[in-house]
Amino acid sequence: MSEKKDPEPENTSEELRIGVYVCHCGLNIAGSVNCEEVAKYAATLPNVVLAQDNLYACSDQGQEGIKKDIKEHKLNRVVVASCSPRLHEPTFRKACEDAGLNKYLFEMANIREHCSWVHLYDRESATEKAKDLVKMAVAKASLLQPAIETEVPINRKALIIGGGVAGIQAALDLADTGYKVHLVEKEPSIGGMMARIDKTFPTMDCSICILAPKMSDVGHHPNIELLAYSEVTEVKGYIGNFVVKVLKKPRYVTKDCSACGECVKVCPIVTPNEFDVGLASRHAIYTPFAQAVPVTYLIDMSLCLNKEDVVVCDKCMKACERGAIKYEMKPETVELEVGTIIVATGADVFDPSTLPNYGYGKIANVITSLEFERLINAGGPSGGHLIRPSDMQIPKRVAFIQCVGSRSDKAGHLYCSNVCCMNTIKDSLLIKEHWPDTEIFVFYIDIRAYGKGFEDLYNRAKKAGVKFIRGLPSEIKEDRKTCNLWLMGENTLQNEIYKINIDMAILSVGLEARKDSEIIQRLLTLSRDQDGFFLEAHPKLRPVDAATGGVFFAGCAESPKDIKDSVTQASAAAARAGTLMAKGKVTVEAITPIFDPEKCKACGLCTKVCPYNALTLNKDLKKITIVEAACGGCGTCAAECPFGALTQSHFTDEQIVAQIDAVTEHDANKKIVAFCCNWCSYAGADFAGVSRMQYPPNVRIIRTMCSGRVSQKFVERAFARGVAAVMVTGCHLGDCHYINANYQTQKRVERLWKKMEQNGLDKNRLQLLWASAAEGEKFASKVREVKSIVESVTSEEVEKARKVFEKALEE
Amino acid sequence: MPERIKHAPLDSKELKRPKVTIHLIKDQCKGCGYCIEFCPKKIFEESEEINARGVHPPKIVDESKCLLCSFCTAVCPDFAIFVTEKKCEGECCT
Repeated sequence: MSEKKDPEPENTSEELRIGVYVCHCGLNIAGSVNCEEVAKYAATLPNVVLAQDNLYACSDQGQEGIKKDIKEHKLNRVVVASCSPRLHEPTFRKACEDAGLNKYLFEMANIREHCSWVHLYDRESATEKAKDLVKMAVAKASLLQPAIETEVPINRKALIIGGGVAGIQAALDLADTGYKVHLVEKEPSIGGMMARIDKTFPTMDCSICILAPKMSDVGHHPNIELLAYSEVTEVKGYIGNFVVKVLKKPRYVTKDCSACGECVKVCPIVTPNEFDVGLASRHAIYTPFAQAVPVTYLIDMSLCLNKEDVVVCDKCMKACERGAIKYEMKPETVELEVGTIIVATGADVFDPSTLPNYGYGKIANVITSLEFERLINAGGPSGGHLIRPSDMQIPKRVAFIQCVGSRSDKAGHLYCSNVCCMNTIKDSLLIKEHWPDTEIFVFYIDIRAYGKGFEDLYNRAKKAGVKFIRGLPSEIKEDRKTCNLWLMGENTLQNEIYKINIDMAILSVGLEARKDSEIIQRLLTLSRDQDGFFLEAHPKLRPVDAATGGVFFAGCAESPKDIKDSVTQASAAAARAGTLMAKGKVTVEAITPIFDPEKCKACGLCTKVCPYNALTLNKDLKKITIVEAACGGCGTCAAECPFGALTQSHFTDEQIVAQIDAVTEHDANKKIVAFCCNWCSYAGADFAGVSRMQYPPNVRIIRTMCSGRVSQKFVERAFARGVAAVMVTGCHLGDCHYINANYQTQKRVERLWKKMEQNGLDKNRLQLLWASAAEGEKFASKVREVKSIVESVTSEEVEKARKVFEKALEE
Repeated sequence: MPERIKHAPLDSKELKRPKVTIHLIKDQCKGCGYCIEFCPKKIFEESEEINARGVHPPKIVDESKCLLCSFCTAVCPDFAIFVTEKKCEGECCT
C-alpha cells in the first residue's frame, strides 16, 4: 500500500515570509510590463518580506539568488512572476528544494504568456494586469502547505491483453527482460490478424512462417503464462498494484491433447471456420489453424450435440486415444496481481456489406481483402489457388478497390486505414507471381507508399503491369449469366468515364476500432478518440502511454498500423512498462484529495464523479476511503462535495477563493475571471501568448488541474464579489486529461446557467469554452467576445448578481 | 474474429451428411416424450394421432437433419425408435 510521511510541520505554524521575484525575461516581459513597478507593488502586499526584479529568474544566477534569499531572509514561501508554470515550475521548485524549502511552497504568476505577450501595445494595462496576477499568486502562496509525494511500490509482473503480433512481441520483450508476464487472448489461439495474412509487405515474407516461431516461443517461455480463450472481466487497483480477474472459458479438451486430429474425423457437426472468414469448414471439435498456440483442440459447445450434463454424442471422446476430452469442464476465474498492463487488443475489419453500391454479400465474385488473403494462402481453403467463388475458376481480370470504409464522410470512416494501399500492391504482385497473365486494375483515391521500401514495391507493381486508375468505381454490376462484373466510374486523372469488365473484385477494406473496445475502456478507465481507437497520453511525446498510470498501448488498439509499426510500438510499450517495473516504485504528485471525516455525510456523490474509482464509500462506517495512488488529481470530487468535506491538496478551496478575492478586490465590474485547466485551455492560453495573439487585458486566469475542479461556489463567489463575467474552460468533451471529469464541468455550468436565468441574470456572463492546447486563437477570440459582454453589463446587473449569489460569501 | 461470414465454405459441396431412416414403432410408445426433449436436432414433435396404448406418439419433423447420434434409441424406455443409415447408391451422398 501507499505510504505517506507527515510533512514537516514547522512551515505551517511559522510567521509567513514571502519572497517575490519579478522576471524581465530580457525584453519578453519588460518590453510591455514595467517590472520594477510590479516588484515595488509586490513589496506592499501582505506577508511579502522581499520583492525584487531580475533580468532572468530562471538563469543559474537567478536561481542562486533565490536560494541565497531563502536562507538569508528565512523565506518560507516563494513567488516567481515570469513565464508559464508549464515551462519553468519544475526549475524553480527544484531551486526551492535545494535551499531546503518544500517544493509545494512555491507559486508562479504567469506574466509572460498570459500578459506581456498578449498585450504587447498596452504597457499600462499590462502592468496593472501583472500586478493583479502577482497579487493572486501571493494570496495563494500565503495559504500553501508543504506536501510530501506518496511513493507507491510496483508489482514486477505484467498483464498483456491481446495475443496478436503486438501482444506477442511485448510479452517476449518483457519476459526476456526477466519479468513475469500473463498474456490473455480472447480467441482459442494467439496469432491474431497476422496469422491470417499470406505475405507481408514490402519484403513479401511469408506471414505465418515468421510469426509461428514467435508464437511457439510464447507457448514455451518460462516467464510467460498464456491464458488463451480467456477474457479480462474485472480490473481493480492502480498503477503498480492492479488486481485482475480473468475468465478462462472451457475448451472441453485437456492439455493431454496431442493434436492428432482423430476426433475431428468423427465429429458429425460441420460449420464455417471463422479463421478462414467462412471460406473453409470446421467441426464442432477443432483447432482454428495448423500452427495454433496452444495446440490443444477445443469443442465449440454452442454447436456440439452435448448440452450441460447430457452427453448425447461421445464420438470424439471414443476417438481420443489419450482421454483428453472432458465434457464436464467448467469456466474458471483466475485472479492475477500485476504492476503494469499493456493493451494490445487490435482492430476489426470494416464490414463492406453496409455499402450497397459494391454489392458485397450479394454478388458472389466480390470479396474482401481478408478473404483474398485466405484464398491466396497455400494453407487456406483453396490451397493457394486464387479462385472466384461463383465457379471456382481462376480469374483472368481482377480489380482491387481501395479505401473501402476509409477516407469517406458518407460510408465508413473519415480516417485513412494506413495499411490497405501497400497490402493491395503486395496482393497484386502475388497474383502476378502465380499467374503472370492476369490483368489487374487498382482503383484508388491516392496511393500512400510512405514507408521504407514501399515506393520500390509500388514501382515493381507498376512495372509488372498492374494498372492503377485514379477514381473509385461508383457501382459494381453483375452479369447474371457469366457472373462477371462491370465497374463504372470516373478516371479523375484523364477526365474519362470508365466501364470495365472483370472477373472478380477485391474490396480493400479498412480497419476500425474493436466493436467491444468499450469493455476494455470501462475496465481500465481509458479514453478513446473520435474514431474509437484508444487515446494516448500525448500524441507526440507519450505515444504508447495511456492517461491511466501503468497502462500502455501496443498495435492497432491505438490506431491502424502495419506489422512493423505494431511490433515497434509493442517493444516501446514493453520498454515503458519495464522502466516502471525496474524502478520498482513511483511517486504520485501531491495533488490528491484532502478529506475531512467530520463534515462527510456519506452521500457518495464524490465516488460517482471520480473518473479513477479512487474513492469508495463505506456505508457502515459512513466514511470515504481514498486510494491516493489511483487518484489522477483532477479534483472533481472536491468540486462535487456539497458539504465541504473534500478539497484538493495544492488547489484547496481557500487557495482558489483567495485568488478570486484578489482579482475582485478592485474594479471587479471590469474584469473577467477565467478558470483554465492545466492540460488544454491553460496550455491553449499559453499558445496564444507564444503566438502573440492579442486580446483584451481584463481577463485573469486561475489555473486548476482540470475544469472538473471548478466548483459552482467558485463561480458564485466571483459574481458575489461583483465580477462582470466568468469563463470556465477545459479540454474538449471526450479529450479530458482525466478521462471524463469535464462532463461534470458541463453539468455544473448548466446548473449555474439555469440558476442565472431563473433569477433574471444574463447567462452570457458565464461562458463555457472547450479549447485544446493548440487552440490559442479560439481562446483569444473568446476573450474578445466576452470583453464586449463585459462592456454591456450595467452596474445594476452587477449588483443584482451580487445579491443572487451573496450566500457564496458566507463561507 | 468478428467478421461477418458472407460466402459459403468452398468445400460445402463435398461435405457429406449421413442419409438416415428413422424407424418409429408407434404402438410401442407410451408417450413419455424423452425423444422430443432430448433430440439435439429437435427432429421429433408430438403428433395428434393416438396409438394402441392410447397416447400421442412422436412424429418426425425433418429426417434430413438427423446426424445419426442415436440418442433417441438410447433414451427411449420402450425400444420404440431406431435409426439406420441409408446405403449409398450412386450419387445419394453428394
